[in-house]
Amino acid sequence: MGFLNSPKWIDVENWSLSWTIGGTWWFPFLESIHVIAAAFVVGSILMVDLRLLGFAAVKYPISTLSKELVPWTWGAFVIATVTGLGMFITRAASHVVNPAFQWKIVLLALAGLNMAYFHFRIYKNIARWDGASSTPMQLKVIGSLSLLLWSGVMLAGRWVGHII
Amino acid sequence: MPDYFTSIGTLLDGSFLQSGALWALSTIPGFPPIIQTVHILGIAVVMGSVVILNLRILGLAVPSQNITEMTRRLMPWLWWALTSNLVSGAFFLFGRPLRYFNNPIFGWKVSFLICAVLLTLFFHLMSRREEAYWESSSKRLWSARAVALLSLMSWLMVAMAGRWIAYVEYIYYPA
Repeated sequence: MGFLNSPKWIDVENWSLSWTIGGTWWFPFLESIHVIAAAFVVGSILMVDLRLLGFAAVKYPISTLSKELVPWTWGAFVIATVTGLGMFITRAASHVVNPAFQWKIVLLALAGLNMAYFHFRIYKNIARWDGASSTPMQLKVIGSLSLLLWSGVMLAGRWVGHII
Repeated sequence: MPDYFTSIGTLLDGSFLQSGALWALSTIPGFPPIIQTVHILGIAVVMGSVVILNLRILGLAVPSQNITEMTRRLMPWLWWALTSNLVSGAFFLFGRPLRYFNNPIFGWKVSFLICAVLLTLFFHLMSRREEAYWESSSKRLWSARAVALLSLMSWLMVAMAGRWIAYVEYIYYPA
């Protein structure tokens, strides 16, 4: 993982944009938007996860619930990513070697894989259990994993600020 | 800041509540980030309950879901999340009471929170009074939209102000 120690990360911190964000009210502004957007990502995913577990909103088919929430989840995710990158560049070199930040990226990737597995592998057979209030074990595992991974992303994300 | 507000801080400062909170925050490994995460997960539930409901009422999200049914299903989640956030927030509040009760942004947060809770409580109670209360006439539906818009903005401002407590000097620059 030599690239983590590359001096290029210092160059990123020296971009004029990085200095502008880091030295003005832009940083707390981006951070507060980041928290709201991230909470929205997790809140909307939580609604689908609880449905996958058969805990909530069982009246609605999983496909309808998920189809109507996904655009909101992605919209919030894009906002969280842009604001996150804005904060990242102000301390790029220290972030890439920060264990909490590294955990956050790994957990994000795992949460993404879990979601991709659901959408590309499981979703094909959706008709079989779409309206069922009691969901098959496979869906319960995916829903629980998603809850755990996203909570982990939040914990790691919050922890970044305690290490830097 | 009003005097009675800052005096709450003085009252808590040095009390057993402060020593208890400081003990937990400094003794239990990883306690501050863990409690902060619990607090943010509570905000996630606020987003996944009242914020989504307000977006639904405004006609922006989840069109297949029914407003009355959503209110009944989601409101318990909101009230539990708020209870949880009061507890997780109390650790930090009790730990450094003067930091919060002398902080104008914390005052804003509490004001927005009171607004948000009152609007949401009003919406919830009316919907319990009569089946499909908010959907029974176009006048009521428009009132619901007005309440939803104000409530949505208030909830977002609570979260926004919460984060800015740590950055108070950006707004109230020390003279």
